[in-house]
Amino acid sequence: MHYLLTDTLIAGLPLLPVVMGIYLVIRIRQDFDLTVDGSLTLGGAVAAVSLNHGLPVPVAIIAAIAAGMLAGLVTTTLHLAFRVPVILAGLVMSIGMRTLNLRVLGRPSTSLDAGAGLFGGLSGLAPTAHDWIVIAILAAFALVFLAGVSLLLLTEVGLALRATGVNVGMARAQGVDDRRSLALCLALANAGAGLSGALIVQSQGFADSSTGTGTLLAGIGAVLLGELVARPGSASRVGRVALSVLAGTVLYRAILVGALRAGLEATDLDGITALILVAAVAVNRYLPTLNKILPRPRSRAAPGARSSPPVRSTASRRPEPVAEEVG
Amino acid sequence: MLCLENIRLVHNPGTPTEVTALDGLDLHIPAGQFVTVVGSNGAGKSSLVNVVSGVHRPRSGRVIIDGRDVTRLPDHARAAWISRVFDNPLAGTAPELSLADNLALAMARGGRRRLRPALTRQRRELMRAQLATLGLGLENRLTDPVALFSAGQRQSVTMLMAGLTQPKLLLLDEHLAALDPRTRARVLELTVRMHDRLGCASLMITHSMRQAIDVGDRLLVMARGRVVFDAAGPDKTNLTPSDLVDIIAGLGDAPTDRQLLAG
Repeated sequence: MHYLLTDTLIAGLPLLPVVMGIYLVIRIRQDFDLTVDGSLTLGGAVAAVSLNHGLPVPVAIIAAIAAGMLAGLVTTTLHLAFRVPVILAGLVMSIGMRTLNLRVLGRPSTSLDAGAGLFGGLSGLAPTAHDWIVIAILAAFALVFLAGVSLLLLTEVGLALRATGVNVGMARAQGVDDRRSLALCLALANAGAGLSGALIVQSQGFADSSTGTGTLLAGIGAVLLGELVARPGSASRVGRVALSVLAGTVLYRAILVGALRAGLEATDLDGITALILVAAVAVNRYLPTLNKILPRPRSRAAPGARSSPPVRSTASRRPEPVAEEVG
Repeated sequence: MLCLENIRLVHNPGTPTEVTALDGLDLHIPAGQFVTVVGSNGAGKSSLVNVVSGVHRPRSGRVIIDGRDVTRLPDHARAAWISRVFDNPLAGTAPELSLADNLALAMARGGRRRLRPALTRQRRELMRAQLATLGLGLENRLTDPVALFSAGQRQSVTMLMAGLTQPKLLLLDEHLAALDPRTRARVLELTVRMHDRLGCASLMITHSMRQAIDVGDRLLVMARGRVVFDAAGPDKTNLTPSDLVDIIAGLGDAPTDRQLLAG
């Protein structure tokens, strides 16, 4: 049980930045950015190479974040310059970055030099103490990133970003340049992926050219799980959004770690991810029906509201009915 | 204030579906003037709105606001001068965001958006005071997502948002069309009050001949991408809805049933 907890946290906390980034893209911008698969690997590769060249840890981490951010801006540029959908621009990037990442790493997999990285000085400790110190450091990085993004969302700039995802026409009428918002969103998401990559590589002790593969899907799984648990409901409830990302990521990882502990092979995990996605989508889809049958808890955030806030499901989100014109 | 010079707007140029939406349109609206616009479907009313707001860039001609040529500026870059209210009452607000967030978005319109909190206590108080003037009890619902509001409430909020900064032009694109009669009267009254308070120019597209005559200082009839009738003062107040229908019908444009009924 104890190992289930520590393994979950050690594997899950480094993912928090990228899941927060994925939340921004899929929920706030309502788009899909596959670039994160590439930027997570890139962040890890840049961090590993920097550390092995003897650069200090903060420099390596900042370089990883910057590399991810740059990748996000390239995707934005592809989207804006050639008017291809973001999902296609991201797909092209994720393929192209496989080559880039191999070039950065120099070979498919590289170990960190002994003693290098955030956790290099901890090798002499007892396993339990070691694990908890690693968890504390990872949590500090992940939570600072989460808090930073949440605070940003609460600013005028962040509000503009949230508005463009919900109603572009209205946002433009209010003077918001939606291209700038998109650039900010993808830059943040991929900066998060870069940070996640750097944290993963340092906690694992090696960088691999396939670390980031499947990140977007895993992130979507975590986001959906988080929404089931924490019910952010509206993009105005930024604290709830952060909480839902936190809960979703940890829960997602707990399920995977639990599956391994229950005797499944590492190769089975992709299947588990798929099942989590299907289950989360199904529950999100049928939750309104379930809510009607089960007694409904009172909505805290909306006093005086005539109905509880609509459940976020991809199907019911996009178009609003145009009101019938009256004479 | 607003000056349109020889505007030509063509949709789908070079294709079989090519349509000339605005055909050498000239229009000057001085500051403070309230202008109503009627015309049959396809007359160019919406194209006029889209060219003024910057959604469409005209093929030729110039759009000048307050002496500044804005022809090449996109819509979001014109938001400092223009407040828009849409025909769809749900289009002017972001449904998933709270009422406070929607209003905060409008408060920063036209200015540079900064890394400072979008919502402050001061701003919330200002919002409550403004919302109270609507008389809809919305001042107690700042944290509710706007999706929970009725179409009339949302259009009222959009009107309010339009007046949170000091625009030069209030652009109203059939903003009453989708409302029920009582709500329509209330939002219309709000519109007139807003125009008077802001002292800006207003351009209101409408389907209702009655509204076009009763409201504002000047009335335009559009047909085939031009202004074909322009009346102000007593010329305008002495018009009857059937005069307007005759003008539109006389041009060979069929007045729609709705216009006839709305008369």
